[in-house]
Amino acid sequence: MTMVKAKTFDTFLGPLSRSNPITTQVLGICSALAVTVKMDTALVMTGALVFVLVGSNTIVAALRDLIPSRVRIIVMLTIIATLVIVIDELLKAYVYDISKQLSIFVGLIITNCIVLGRAEAFALKNSVPASALDGLGNALGYGLILVLVAAARELFGSGTLLGFQIIPDFLYAENGGWYVNNGLMILAPGAFIILGLLIWLQRTINGYTEE
Amino acid sequence: MKSSNSYTYIFVIAMAIVSALMLSVLKISLQERQEFNKLLDTRKNVLKTVGALKAGMSDMAIEELYQSKFRKNVVTDTEGREREYYIYGSSDSPEGYVLPVSGKGVWSTINGFIALESDWNTVRGISFYDHGETPGLGGEIEKDFFSDRFVGKKIFRDGKLVSVTIAKSKLTKPSEHAVDGLSGASLTTGAVNRLLRDDLEAYLGMLKEPDREE
Repeated sequence: MTMVKAKTFDTFLGPLSRSNPITTQVLGICSALAVTVKMDTALVMTGALVFVLVGSNTIVAALRDLIPSRVRIIVMLTIIATLVIVIDELLKAYVYDISKQLSIFVGLIITNCIVLGRAEAFALKNSVPASALDGLGNALGYGLILVLVAAARELFGSGTLLGFQIIPDFLYAENGGWYVNNGLMILAPGAFIILGLLIWLQRTINGYTEE
Repeated sequence: MKSSNSYTYIFVIAMAIVSALMLSVLKISLQERQEFNKLLDTRKNVLKTVGALKAGMSDMAIEELYQSKFRKNVVTDTEGREREYYIYGSSDSPEGYVLPVSGKGVWSTINGFIALESDWNTVRGISFYDHGETPGLGGEIEKDFFSDRFVGKKIFRDGKLVSVTIAKSKLTKPSEHAVDGLSGASLTTGAVNRLLRDDLEAYLGMLKEPDREE
């Protein structure tokens, strides 16, 4: 009994840290660079990925005995693409401004290696609840890094967090202070630097090395 | 049985039909909301170009302000096409004009508005609200920091239409007819330069003789 519990626990918590899709497996980097200038876009993107990944893992696991193995990749991609279009349409209908900022990146979840990777590596071989949990863990693991990178970029690049000003006005150079926002953080190289530091930090803590 | 060809075909076809049906139903049920959002976004951008959009305005307030402050007018441009534009302010003393501009971008059509002061010469604001440019590079044309550069520029020099040009890099000397460029966006800024000049030229008859709109 305890063994089952430990395994369930691991399915969910593993991807948050030890087998994190971004920092350990280095998947999904493209969107991690693109949507992390501000925290609100990172949070919405995380929500979209939770929806797609939990949905695709659940459906693939439910159909795992029915999917003909010769066309399984195409079938999984159809499921993923359908879910991505659903979330894209929902965002356009309910949070139009944010969906405009996320532009093509929601659509690009279809090509996010994490989603197809989890379907192929996990959902095809495991039960529905375990697959749903695995999807949730991986999506949140992705989201955690996204939000951390976005927080650093928004704070140092714009002086705000979630749109609220954090760095006081009087510190800024134009108001007689000395502080200037770091323009590099708004650009893609800023994300690379933050991401690199996170990967370094996380691998040092976990003692993970690449062969 | 599971590996037979007929099973594979039936499974794939059933799968395609189910997904397509689901998406069609979803699209139809959300269409009204999406179109409303799009219209509201256009309204917001018209307001933004004349500087009338305030942060935190409700959807209702935007619609109300739009209805009370803007009138649509139609002109025939130099190419013989009918074009809509917006007059801002009261009918006897307009405060500005908002002209829709559009043209070919790098990946898709760029749509925007340019607002002119009542002198038909000074740029009051500009906004590119619909485009498919590369996010982070050409896509930056939609950002406020970029559109703010256009405010106060002139489109006429000595009575001749010169439009406002986006420079290749930072301007070496201040100009009334040019703004700083965007790095990594040469193709997009080239496209914007072209569409601004072409469309302003198409409106030229109207620009030269403001009385014609009456």
